[in-house]
Amino acid sequence: MNKEIAIHLKNITKSYPGVIANKNVDFQVNKGEIHALVGENGAGKSTLMKILYGIEQPDEGEIVINGSMETINKVETAINLGIGMVHQEFTLVPSFTAPENIGLGQEPKNSKGLVDWKGLNKSVMDIAEKYGFKVDPGLKMIDASVGVQQRTEILKTLYRNANILILDEPTAVLTPQETDELFNVIRTLVNEGKTVIFITHKLREVMEIADRVTVMRAGEVQGVSETKNTSITELASQMVGREVFLQVKKDEADPKDEILNVENLWVHDARGLLAVNGVEMSIKEGEIVGIAGVEGNGQTELVEALTGLRKASRGKIMYLGEDIASSTPKNIRRKKIAHIPEDRTNTGLNTQLSIWENLIGNSYFRKPLSSKGIFNLKKVAKHANKLKEDFDIRSPNVSLKVKSLSGGNQQKVVVARELSEDPTLTIASQPTRGVDIGNIEAIHEQLVQMRDDGGAVLLVSAELDEVMAVADRVGVMYEGQIVKWVNPKEVDQSQMGLYMAGVTE
Amino acid sequence: MDKFSFKDVLVTFAGLFITTLVAWVLITSTGNNPSEVAKYLYEGGFKGTRNIANSLYQATPLILTATATLISFRVGMFNIGINGSMYVGALYAGWAGYRFTNLGHFSHVTLCILIGMTVGALWMLLPALLRVYAGVSEIISTIILNFVAVLFVSYMANGPFRADPIAPATARILETAELKQIFPNSQFNTGFFIAVIVAILAHFVLNKTTFGYELRSGGDGLVGVYPSRFSSYLGIPSDRSAIIGMLISGALGGLAGAIEVLGAVRYFFQELEFNQGFDGILIGILGKLEPIGAIIASLFYGAIKNGGFFVDYKTDVAREIIIVLISILIFFVSAQKIVKGLEKYPIVKKLDSFFSRKKM
Repeated sequence: MNKEIAIHLKNITKSYPGVIANKNVDFQVNKGEIHALVGENGAGKSTLMKILYGIEQPDEGEIVINGSMETINKVETAINLGIGMVHQEFTLVPSFTAPENIGLGQEPKNSKGLVDWKGLNKSVMDIAEKYGFKVDPGLKMIDASVGVQQRTEILKTLYRNANILILDEPTAVLTPQETDELFNVIRTLVNEGKTVIFITHKLREVMEIADRVTVMRAGEVQGVSETKNTSITELASQMVGREVFLQVKKDEADPKDEILNVENLWVHDARGLLAVNGVEMSIKEGEIVGIAGVEGNGQTELVEALTGLRKASRGKIMYLGEDIASSTPKNIRRKKIAHIPEDRTNTGLNTQLSIWENLIGNSYFRKPLSSKGIFNLKKVAKHANKLKEDFDIRSPNVSLKVKSLSGGNQQKVVVARELSEDPTLTIASQPTRGVDIGNIEAIHEQLVQMRDDGGAVLLVSAELDEVMAVADRVGVMYEGQIVKWVNPKEVDQSQMGLYMAGVTE
Repeated sequence: MDKFSFKDVLVTFAGLFITTLVAWVLITSTGNNPSEVAKYLYEGGFKGTRNIANSLYQATPLILTATATLISFRVGMFNIGINGSMYVGALYAGWAGYRFTNLGHFSHVTLCILIGMTVGALWMLLPALLRVYAGVSEIISTIILNFVAVLFVSYMANGPFRADPIAPATARILETAELKQIFPNSQFNTGFFIAVIVAILAHFVLNKTTFGYELRSGGDGLVGVYPSRFSSYLGIPSDRSAIIGMLISGALGGLAGAIEVLGAVRYFFQELEFNQGFDGILIGILGKLEPIGAIIASLFYGAIKNGGFFVDYKTDVAREIIIVLISILIFFVSAQKIVKGLEKYPIVKKLDSFFSRKKM
């Protein structure tokens, strides 16, 4: 079948000071297909898309859109060519509704020269209906879920007559249910004749949704294949440049003394609603306990209670025989409990601070990093550089601000800091969210290493694959309770799916 | 914070250049001779002991207010109320300067300074507490307190502290409370050294101590980010950091006022007008929120300010024009994007990477 070509980027080269982001990249997307662009963080995917969208200019190369050669030197040109992009960070005005956000910059005017709100609402709702989107025209974005915000972003591109949609890591912020909804939306778009470029590093999603896939590594294209002719393993090794073990390598757990025992724990959430009601759990040294479950079933509040960030309303958290339920985060940390939080950018890091300042957050007060309140900056630098090496944080030096790092490297800063102080108990919440495949492997290995060194690990994750592969015992959380304990080797995914929906019999 | 780089130097010089051009047009169009203005501006800022001393005198309170502002910014509090602290610090340092008698020189000066700093700090306690315990934006409360401070000191100088039957002013401070003026015909005084030492101390505390690290853990940028989830997660009480940061900030503001009264004015009167608290915000940002940067920027700003007075004194150019020029200069010097166009030249790239080389 001879397909029409929507986009052809020919021989694109783009370099920044010190790095070549794209090197002779050839990227071709057919009309009406879902084309996945995958690669690790820093592989050059975003740069390539910025070039296509007119944010960056290539040093060399040509851009051919629908058969004609184009120079895209600003975003408006890209939009006029029918290209729309949904960024990973949304560009919505929080206090505006969906139609207000969508029309912003291209508001229809009525005869008096004022904004024609009715007309705008109508055309937005028409587009939404055509593609089967559910949109509440009165809902402000600040009150909308992430999924709704993302759909608004997509509608914004459709309102501007986009035929080619670039979705930059659209599933990174979504729950599994929202991801399913997004995939339905994407399928509808393609049925209506749109072309979709789907940037991601989650290979399972690529296999599920994409027609073809282009793999990038270190600024170069490693291969283009049809998803039906390839496999996750093959794509993963193209991405990382070596063979990747999707199964976590680990020996049988050898649990010893009990480290943590949670008795009848009740926790209320920020709105005062009961989020955790009666969790019972025990973790021994030398084992990884996993908590699976659909997000929003109390996992966040459970972890916050265990780490002192939220007060428990009832129950006991016995840690080495001592109740820490009313202890402060500081005291809990001093007892060698490490915490990799689910919210990386606001809780786990201060992105305004440098890498080294983030790395010493749990050790700055101890010798030899400081003595009598004064830093020994040489020792601090040595400590920070060692962590940078050990945890493979990719950055020219540790004095750069954390905000200059990619998401995966930011997460490595958190993991490096939390695992560095030899914790007795490690509480890891969504430790690999937004992290690329090579680094996911590394983080999993590090958690298993903690276990093998005699530590206790609690792993909370919405990625079922992750919990099943890493944990030795798994509790399924549903509506604030752990409804089922399973041995991950003895259950299959569909059975887990039922447990996660609250069906235990 | 971002460290200084070659780009910053380039921005400064580009700013100077553009300002010179604008100034040339502006001064010529008002019928004056630009080269004459330039000459007096330079002489007033940098030529001769007296002018240099006066430039340093102008820089003295700026060093402190800029440091005060940047400390609160780096704790995550957007504090723009340093002018208020400066007023109340000046008033009470002046009061202590005549109220306590029979003290030695050193102990009297120290007492006055400590009282000025304490009052300045207490002035910042209210917005800090309001922010932490009631969620009132510190931007709003510190703006309001700036107005309150002016009215409050004016009332005190006219009422309870008034000593002079003719003018609304306090009594003159005793000689034991004076910060010594070193050069004849200049208000330059030993307070300058206090200001520099305090700024260096602030640099040390912020960057080299665990206390400074705890203060900064929740902030460290231009954007006020209190309350910081990062701090609480690490077990550093960010409420405490915010309050302590604001108190230190206010204390330095009070110190700036105290030095003005003890070293230069020698009494407090109703019409005494401060705006260094506002200039300090600008200078703090120009100095990249680093105390050492604040010292450098203050010295520069002080010299231009004094040069401006000299131009005013020597020529017919209105003083307002000089103020306009300073504003234009600040405007362009902070316009980082001017040099963006220059970045593509390899020589600029090279110099930039050379000058921004780091130790760690």
